[in-house]
Amino acid sequence: MSALIEFQNVCKYYEMGDTTVVAADHISFQIQRGEFVAIVGSSGSGKSTCMNIIGCLDVPSEGTYLLDGRDVGGMNKNELAEIRNELLGFIFQQYNLLPKLNLLENVEVPLMYAGISRSERRERAEAALGMVGLEEKLKHKPSQLSGGQQQRVSIARALAGEPAVILADEPTGALDSRTGREVLSLLQQLHAAGNTVVLITHDNTIAVQAQRIIRLEDGRVVYDGPSDAPDAVVTPRVAGTGGGAA
Amino acid sequence: MSIFESLTLAFKNIVSSKTRTLLTMLGIIIGVAAVIVIVGLGNGLEGYITESFSSMGTNTLTASVSARGSTRTLSVDDMYDIVEENSGYLDLCSPTVNMMGSVKIGSETSRTSVTGVSEDYFSIKNYTLSKGRGIQYSDIALRAKTCVVGAYVDMAYYGGSAVGETLRVGGQSLTIVGVIEQQSEELEEGGSDDCLFLPYSTAARLSGGVSSYTVTVRDESLIAEGKAALENALEDFFGSDSFYTVTSMSEMLETMTGMISILVAVLAGIAAISLVVGGIGIMNIMLVSVTERTREIGIRKSLGAKERYIMEQFVIEAAATSALGGVIGILLGYALSAVASKVVAGLMETALTVAPTVGAVGTAFGISVGIGILFGYLPAKKAAVLNPIDALHYD
Ligand SMILES: Nc1ncnc2c1ncn2[C@@H]1O[C@H](COP(=O)(O)OP(=O)(O)OP(=O)(O)O)[C@@H](O)[C@H]1O
Ligand SMILES: [Mg+2]
Repeated sequence: MSALIEFQNVCKYYEMGDTTVVAADHISFQIQRGEFVAIVGSSGSGKSTCMNIIGCLDVPSEGTYLLDGRDVGGMNKNELAEIRNELLGFIFQQYNLLPKLNLLENVEVPLMYAGISRSERRERAEAALGMVGLEEKLKHKPSQLSGGQQQRVSIARALAGEPAVILADEPTGALDSRTGREVLSLLQQLHAAGNTVVLITHDNTIAVQAQRIIRLEDGRVVYDGPSDAPDAVVTPRVAGTGGGAA
Repeated sequence: MSIFESLTLAFKNIVSSKTRTLLTMLGIIIGVAAVIVIVGLGNGLEGYITESFSSMGTNTLTASVSARGSTRTLSVDDMYDIVEENSGYLDLCSPTVNMMGSVKIGSETSRTSVTGVSEDYFSIKNYTLSKGRGIQYSDIALRAKTCVVGAYVDMAYYGGSAVGETLRVGGQSLTIVGVIEQQSEELEEGGSDDCLFLPYSTAARLSGGVSSYTVTVRDESLIAEGKAALENALEDFFGSDSFYTVTSMSEMLETMTGMISILVAVLAGIAAISLVVGGIGIMNIMLVSVTERTREIGIRKSLGAKERYIMEQFVIEAAATSALGGVIGILLGYALSAVASKVVAGLMETALTVAPTVGAVGTAFGISVGIGILFGYLPAKKAAVLNPIDALHYD
C-alpha cells in the first residue's frame, strides 16, 4: 500500500519582483497512515509553505505531491476544494471558527459542503463535539468560549468529516501552556484512535510529542526521524555551533 | 449544498445586520413602490375614462359637417339618405344641435346642457323615460316648442313634477313633455342628468342650422367599416374630404387610453431608475461585505467550499436582499395606492381607484430579484476567486 502523503522533490518558488524566494527546496518525504508527524523549523524555514501544499491550499511549483495516491499538482481549484473537503481536516492557530454560527453549525460546515443530509450532519456534529467534551455547549457561539474550548471546536470540526489527514498548524500557538497540553493530548488521543496527524510547529517541546519529526531549514529537510532520537530536536549545524559556545 | 441551505444562510446574514439591510434595500423599496403606484394610477385613470366613454356609447359615430365654402350643402334629409344607403353598416341617425345659450327656469338661470335631437336619439343613447313622453317625429315636423329634461332638472327645479311646466331656452318658451330616467348614481349640477333635449328642427331655427349628426352602427364590431362607409358617402357628396369629419367614440377611447399608457410607461420608466440606483446600492454593500468577510470566505474554502458555493452564497444574499426590498416596496405601493385613491376621490369628486395590477406587482418583484442577481454578481465573483491562503490570513 502506498504512503498517504508523498512529497517527491517538491519545490515552491515565490517571485518577489526580480528575485525568486525558494520557500521549499526539493523536499521529499513520505507519511504513512496512522503516523503522528511534527514538521518543525524556525521562522521562515518553509513550514507554512509545506502545510499549504499538504493541505491542498496550494500546489508545488516543481516536483510531485501525491495525496492518497492522487497527484495534486495538476488539479484545478474545484478538485482541490473537493479533496480538502474529503481528505483533510484543518486545525488552525487562530481556531478560524465562523463567529455568527453556533458550535453545531460550525462543525456542520464541512459536512454541508460534502453534501451530507441535514439529519446525519447534526448527528455527526454532535458526536464530534461530544468527543472533545463540549456536548453541553452545542448552541453557544464561539465568542462565548475560552480559547482552549474554541480550539476543541475546531478539532471537532476537523474530525467530523472523517478526514484521512488531520493537519494542525501551530494549534497551541494562541493558548497558555496548560490548555496547550490539553489540546496536544487530544491530538495524541486522535492518533491513538488510528488517525494520521500532521502537526506544524516551531516549538521543539511540542514537536517531541509526535512520533516522528521532520525538521526544515531554509526550505530543505535537515532531519527526518523518530522524535526520541538524540539529534531530533537539534539540527547538526545548530548542535555544532551551540556545542562550541557551551 | 442545496439552494435551500444557501437561502437559509443568506437570510441569517440579512437578519444579522438589520439596519444595514434596510438602508441597502431603500432604493429598491422606493423604486418598486413608485412603479406600483404610478401603474396603478394609470390603470385607474384608464378605467375611469373607459367607463365614462362607454356610457356615451361605443357603437356611435359623430359626423360634423361644415359646408362653408362648398358648392353643396348637406341637408338633414341628405344625411338620412346616406344612412339609408349604407344600412348594411349604419343603423340610426340623429342630428345633434348643441346649444350654448343658458336655460331660464322661472327667474333662475341654469347651465343645463341643451341639445336638439331627433326621435331616434333616445334609442341611440338607451335613454328611457321615467315620466311623460319623448321627442316624437311630429314634434320635429311641426317644430314643436316642447322639450324633455333630465332627472336633475326635474328634481332640482320642479321637485319632481316638471311635466307640463315651461322654461325658456334662447328666449324661446318650451313645454316640458317628459323626464329621462336618472343616469348617474348621484344627481348633481353639470352631471349627466342636468340636460335638456328639444326637437332638432326647433333647435336649428334657434341656433342656425344642423352641423352635427350622431349615427349608430349595427354592431360594435362594425365601427371601422361603418366609419369608412360614412366617410366615403360624405366624400362623394361633397366631392372633397375637407368639409366633414367622422369620429367614433371607440376610436377616441383608444387614442386616450393609448396616450395614458405612454404616459404611464414614461413615468414608470423614470421610477424604475430608482431600481437601478437601488441595485448599485446593493452592489456597493455586497462589495463591502465581501471585504469584511474575506476571512470567512477563506475558512469556508479551506473546509472545501467550491467557488460555485461561495458565488451562490453572495448572489443569493444579494437577490434575497433585493427581493425582500421588492416585497416591502409592493406592500408600501399598495398602502400608497389606497391613500392616493382617497386623495384623488376627495380632490376630483369622482371615484377613481388607484388599482395596482397583478402584472405590475409581479414585474416589480421579478425586476428587483433580477437586479439583486445582476448587481450581486460582481461582488460574488470577487469573493469566489479569492485565494484561500490570502483570505485565511486576512484581518
Ligand atoms: N506568498 C509569499 N510570497 C512571497 N514569499 C513568501 C510567500 N509565502 C512565504 N514566502 C517566503 O517563503 C519562505 C518560507 O515561508 P513560510 O511561511 O513557509 O515560513 P514558516 O516556516 O511558516 O515561518 P513562520 O514560522 O514564521 O510562520 C519565507 O522566506 C517567506 O518569506
Ligand atoms: Mg508559518
